[in-house]
Amino acid sequence: MSILTDLLARARSLLFRNREERELDDELKFHLDMEAEHRQRLGTSASEAQRQSRIELGGIEPVKELVRDASGTRWLDELRQDFGYTLRTLNRSRGFAAVTILTLAIGIGGTTAVFSAVDAVLLQPLPYQEPGQLVRVYQSWTGNPPFKGFVTPGHYVAIREQVGAFDGAAAISTYSAVGADIGSGADVHRIKLLPTSYNYFDVVRVRPTLGTGFAVDDEHGPDIEDNMDAAAVVVLSHDTWEQEFRGDPGAIGRTLQMNGQPYLVAGVMPKGYTDPIAGSIDAWIPVNLTRAHASDGPTNHYLTVIARLKSGVPIQRAQEELNRVVTRFGEQFPSAKESLMRLYPLKEDIVGGSSRALEIMLGGVGLVLLLVCVNIANLLLVRASERSREFALRSALGAERFRMVRQLLIESLTLALAGDLAGLIVARIGMAAIVALGAGSIPRLAKLTLEPQLLVFSLVIATISALIFGLAPALKAARTQPADVLRDQSRSSTGGMAQIRLREWLVISQVALAFVLLVGAGLLLASFRQIQSIDLGIKPDNVLAFELNLPTARYDSTARGRLYERLATQLSALPGVKAAGGISKLPATGGYNEWGLAPRSGPLAGDKRGQVGAENRIVSGRYFAAVGIPTLSGRVFDERDVAGGPDHVVINQSLANAIFPGIDPLGQTLNTGGRNSEVIGVVANVAIDNEGSQSHYVYHAHTQFAGDRNWALAQVVSTTGNNAAVQNEVREALRTLDPQLVMFRPTTLDQAIGQGAAQRLFTLRILVTFAVVALALSALGLFGVLSYGVRLRSREFGIRMALGAENGSILSMVLKEGMLVTAIGMVVGLVGAVALARVMASLVFHVSPLDPRVLIGTVVFMGMVAAVAAYLPAYRATRVDVRDVLQG
Amino acid sequence: MTDEPAALVQGTLEMLVLRTLAIEPMHGWGLAHRILSMSGEVFLVTQGSLYPALVRMRRRGWITTAWRTTENNRRARYYELTAAGRRQLEVERALWQRVSTAINSVMSPAWATGIP
Repeated sequence: MSILTDLLARARSLLFRNREERELDDELKFHLDMEAEHRQRLGTSASEAQRQSRIELGGIEPVKELVRDASGTRWLDELRQDFGYTLRTLNRSRGFAAVTILTLAIGIGGTTAVFSAVDAVLLQPLPYQEPGQLVRVYQSWTGNPPFKGFVTPGHYVAIREQVGAFDGAAAISTYSAVGADIGSGADVHRIKLLPTSYNYFDVVRVRPTLGTGFAVDDEHGPDIEDNMDAAAVVVLSHDTWEQEFRGDPGAIGRTLQMNGQPYLVAGVMPKGYTDPIAGSIDAWIPVNLTRAHASDGPTNHYLTVIARLKSGVPIQRAQEELNRVVTRFGEQFPSAKESLMRLYPLKEDIVGGSSRALEIMLGGVGLVLLLVCVNIANLLLVRASERSREFALRSALGAERFRMVRQLLIESLTLALAGDLAGLIVARIGMAAIVALGAGSIPRLAKLTLEPQLLVFSLVIATISALIFGLAPALKAARTQPADVLRDQSRSSTGGMAQIRLREWLVISQVALAFVLLVGAGLLLASFRQIQSIDLGIKPDNVLAFELNLPTARYDSTARGRLYERLATQLSALPGVKAAGGISKLPATGGYNEWGLAPRSGPLAGDKRGQVGAENRIVSGRYFAAVGIPTLSGRVFDERDVAGGPDHVVINQSLANAIFPGIDPLGQTLNTGGRNSEVIGVVANVAIDNEGSQSHYVYHAHTQFAGDRNWALAQVVSTTGNNAAVQNEVREALRTLDPQLVMFRPTTLDQAIGQGAAQRLFTLRILVTFAVVALALSALGLFGVLSYGVRLRSREFGIRMALGAENGSILSMVLKEGMLVTAIGMVVGLVGAVALARVMASLVFHVSPLDPRVLIGTVVFMGMVAAVAAYLPAYRATRVDVRDVLQG
Repeated sequence: MTDEPAALVQGTLEMLVLRTLAIEPMHGWGLAHRILSMSGEVFLVTQGSLYPALVRMRRRGWITTAWRTTENNRRARYYELTAAGRRQLEVERALWQRVSTAINSVMSPAWATGIP
């Protein structure tokens, strides 16, 4: 209560300052008048009475001052004065203010944006209940234990039923996550479908908000691609439910047509739910686990498995139990004898590869923040020394020390706050940029939000650094004897030189930090060029790619085979198209369907050494011509390779060398995918990923392999250049074939392959930005310190010139000084780069972390920038007017 | 004891103002004058101590102010005790009584004779 009254009273006197002052005047005047009248009544003359009363009561002004003190607003008054003074002084040195604020903004904004990204991707827990209990289950074999393979339905069912440490294990079908066409006629569109085990919702602990989800019996229902007699079930995402049923709660139990088949709606998921691995999904259907008990149940790897550990069970204990279950399973099924299974914390598994990139970003931003602090220190030091005379003068004129220190603090604080504000804006822009650059390649980045704690963190850091570096010179200025400074004007003094030394060290550290960042950016740049110069074995320029799914309901295997071939023929005939075809997995976009393979003829037939794994690819049309894979011998598929005829395969060079050493592979027989096939051709090797990794390949003709499953073949169309026009023609051609077909995710082959490189590109861009900022900051620092040195020594230069020194010698003197500081900084930076080589090693590609070209390039580049930064002050040194200096 | 007005005992000005205002609302000069006369011309309160004290007391909520017209038809700022001011007066009065009794008994001439 009383505090409130107090505050109100203070606020009142602050707000109605003028009125208060006037009233006080009136009141004091009234007092004087009363006193004078009183004395007059006692017999004193009027003028004498006034004089006496004035003497007795003291002057009016001191009284007013005392009253103002008592009303508790004096410090606010002074603060306002100091703040106004600060604004005026900063306005006078706009350059200094702008550079300081900009530096702070970069430091704060950069740190906050990058910190937010690291937080969103690495630190935030997965958005599921008890996320620490979720683990990913991978399968491998004794020959390669660290391999992270998919799980067979046989193994999955076994561990789901037998591992007691699991509070449930859910399976997601890995290969059928393509989608389904829903709707009909012109309205047909494709949605992303995720086949899961019935207990999926229990394992992630997110239940449908409507409906009951799946029952265990649903897992034995028909496949999404098979013809079905009974209606299958589907759980819809919140968005799909709103689109297809307008958010009607009565949708449960009704049917939705997918791929022309009716599905009973069994549930609706909560809004915003995303799968931990597959991301945003439109609908869930039960995975068909009938295969678990088929003969290939323990060998057909196609499930992604997530398990939830029972509360309190450490992952190690679950792993031990899992090992026992897998061993027992291997004893039961000889084909699974060599199987191994391994658990990984789910979050680690999801974030895994991108954590290094983010750590490097964090390191980069840390270095930049350090640079920012150094720069701020530097700037404020210059400013303090520039103003030492001003402070000496003020102090000589009787300014309180406390007031002067406060004044400097207010100045620092004003700069810091302006920098904070600008930093917020930079942070927002930076975050938008990070999301735009990295959303596709870094998981969880899309959820990036400005975390208040992070913001506070960087605001505090920046403000504190501004205060500390502002306060140090302030205290020094307050201690200085005014006489010393005033006497010392414009003459170089030991104090000045000591400051120069300190600032030189600051610049050296800046150069070193910037050097490390530049080396990092240079290494990534070199890596990137390496990657782009890799020969993937294909010609991805001007190749259109899109996915095409043929609904099983309307297309049986024969019809599918026929349609894919007809499409390829029709597209190849279009003007502007060189060749067209289809493949089950686009080249250089990762592994898929790696199956066991063995020669049935030749020297290794029946030999264990001939048993290899090979990537199986199903192709249609003129695939090899479309992506530019040369045929080395024999032929590729054509009309002769028909369904029902003898099975033919085309193999790549490396497979031919591996299983048919020393003989002509043409006409030989090999076994894969459960059939014996004759080799009719050998083609050149193709990389399995965009880093050029090699693998064995065996290609099957889709016409002969269509019965295996519904291969939603990705279509590739090589064009003579005008992709956009061709894309429209392709769409038109597709429509004449079947108006219900959907050209799904059209892109270029280049882009499809480039996706994998996106993460490195992301890191590269960020690091290059950091390096440029760092370089700019250190150049600024160098420029600042040299300019200051020139100003301090202008008298010396003047004398030298008066004594006949050439402009050139003065220029080179200052330049040399700048280059010496830069050179020392670069040596220190080199040591840092060597120390960080191991961190960078994991991110570079086919480039040594201490690549001499990168190091030399950095030295040259940095030297050039430093030379420019040093030239200006050096030039200014030669412009010193001899007369001015010597007269001063 | 001299006839010259004396300085106030440290810290008692606010108590005297509270006490004086308890009689009736009055303006600053009236207050100073009343204190002087009530103290037998001993306590002269200067403007330099009176007005800051009034500002402080107003901040504490003990007094309120209002501009009124005096008998002589002049405008003056009048000060008036609030309920909180009255309570404060009682607190200070009680405290003063304890302190002055204690001081009086310490200063009692009886001690010189050894009789408490």
